[in-house]
Amino acid sequence: MTSGAALSKLRPPAPKSSLIVPAGVLGALALTIWAASDQFGIGFDPIAILADIGRGSEILGEVFRPNFAFFPRTIQPMIETIQMAIIASTIGCAIALPAAFLASRVTAPGRLSLVATRSVLNVVRALPDLLYAMVFVVALSIGPLPGILALIFFNIGVAAKLLSETVDAVDRGPLEAASAAGAAHVEVVRTSVLPQVLPNYVAYSLYVFELNIRASTVIGIVGAGGIGNVLNEQIGFFNFSNVGLVILELFLLVFAIELVSIALRRRLT
Amino acid sequence: MTASAALATLRPNAPSHAKRNLAILVAAAIVSWAFLTVDVRLDRLIDLPRQLGRMFGFMFLPPDWSYVEIAAPAMVASIQMAWIGTLIGAILSLPLGFFGAKNISSGPVSNVVRVLLNAIRAFPEIVLAIVVFVPIAGLGPVGGALAIGVHSIGTLGKLTAEAIESVDRGPIEAVRATGARSLQVQRWGVLPQVLPEIIAFWLYRFEINLRAAAVLGIVGAGGIGAVLSNTLAYRRFDKAGMAIIVVVLATIAVDYISGTIRRRIIEGTGAKRIVGDDLEQPELAESPT
Repeated sequence: MTSGAALSKLRPPAPKSSLIVPAGVLGALALTIWAASDQFGIGFDPIAILADIGRGSEILGEVFRPNFAFFPRTIQPMIETIQMAIIASTIGCAIALPAAFLASRVTAPGRLSLVATRSVLNVVRALPDLLYAMVFVVALSIGPLPGILALIFFNIGVAAKLLSETVDAVDRGPLEAASAAGAAHVEVVRTSVLPQVLPNYVAYSLYVFELNIRASTVIGIVGAGGIGNVLNEQIGFFNFSNVGLVILELFLLVFAIELVSIALRRRLT
Repeated sequence: MTASAALATLRPNAPSHAKRNLAILVAAAIVSWAFLTVDVRLDRLIDLPRQLGRMFGFMFLPPDWSYVEIAAPAMVASIQMAWIGTLIGAILSLPLGFFGAKNISSGPVSNVVRVLLNAIRAFPEIVLAIVVFVPIAGLGPVGGALAIGVHSIGTLGKLTAEAIESVDRGPIEAVRATGARSLQVQRWGVLPQVLPEIIAFWLYRFEINLRAAAVLGIVGAGGIGAVLSNTLAYRRFDKAGMAIIVVVLATIAVDYISGTIRRRIIEGTGAKRIVGDDLEQPELAESPT
């Protein structure tokens, strides 16, 4: 008894129980019930889904038997996809560079430009790539041009966000040195911030390029050029073994580009 | 003259830029190839700013404000679709993350799981929706939620596995020393270490999934995507503009709430940071797609 009391004295006090965790769990649960309910939500019924799960098997079976004879017809669209991704990441990242400097506390020339740039970037980032593609296809008709434009907007959002966070974290020493040497604001950014973030910038550009190859499948579905067009066409014809081939090719392409891109990014940062 | 010569010998050799210059040259060649050979007619580019300006005018000057009555409930359905989808992905990816972590499961098992996760990631939500889940669940947001859920397993499983691989061995050994069985070690030694990070991933994924849910309606998965697709197809640009405004506002609001919760989970209210804790910053470039 006494030794037990001594032991309990040695024991650190249990952390104070907080209401935040149970409240969070309860909140998430309530949100889930609301979202899944028939009346207020989307009517999510796991039992019905499990009962109907066989309905997808026929199509899926065809997708997993890719029709390799279709390959020659996918080459040109595949090249177009790569071209679109290259052009869009080049232009998108070129615009993102100054945007990121305007959107970072460290390099923004003033409070107004900081807030304005950040707000614009938030709006740009809030819209999904496919929505840009839909709008541009309606405005400019089908083809690679609306696709490239859609990807550019998507890229500006991603690259400017990543880069401005990197700029926020730069070492302030060189900045002070440059200002002490009498450099104007633009010169300070050019000589002491840019060299620090340049490797990251190149790495992000490669990452954005990777994302573009992935995204191009999706934007093609609404008519914005590239391999996604072929995908959409073949889905429309119910040629799911051709769809299977396109998915397989995209998988291999994304995988190859990811390997190269990760290897390059490792060397950069 | 002699002084400057002496200085020159003291100065280190300038680093070679040959490799860098070569890399720039290769990159420039690839980019020029893309620009020069892509099938875009240049005469359309001249007209581009005017076209886009006209479109912007149709959509937002002014939008059809009254259409908010239809757009807002549809956006709520998209948010619900994203939430349910994220939940499906979270529940299924957690065990897969454990099986995919090299330090917890065996080598061959973790390799198989990693390949599986990568394969899942290769199917975009929209393709999953068209090919698999709209046939199963019919038209409407349930198919969209399933597509989002399955696609999320890929990234969430990978991130979970990586988080588990970087846990501290100490607690695991301590739990094992008390005689805990394998599952108990995972529950008490591993899970408490990774749960905050994993929940933050889930919330982050919810933000991404919301963007997917906003467009999945194009292929029949309901929500605001269906509204956008219909209004654009019938050229009701003022209605489409209103729907876009709803998407932007709702997405920014959800991002803000979710981001605040994520920061609270990861950083705590004022938790003392262990010395050296901040050395391991997650690499931004590896951030999830």
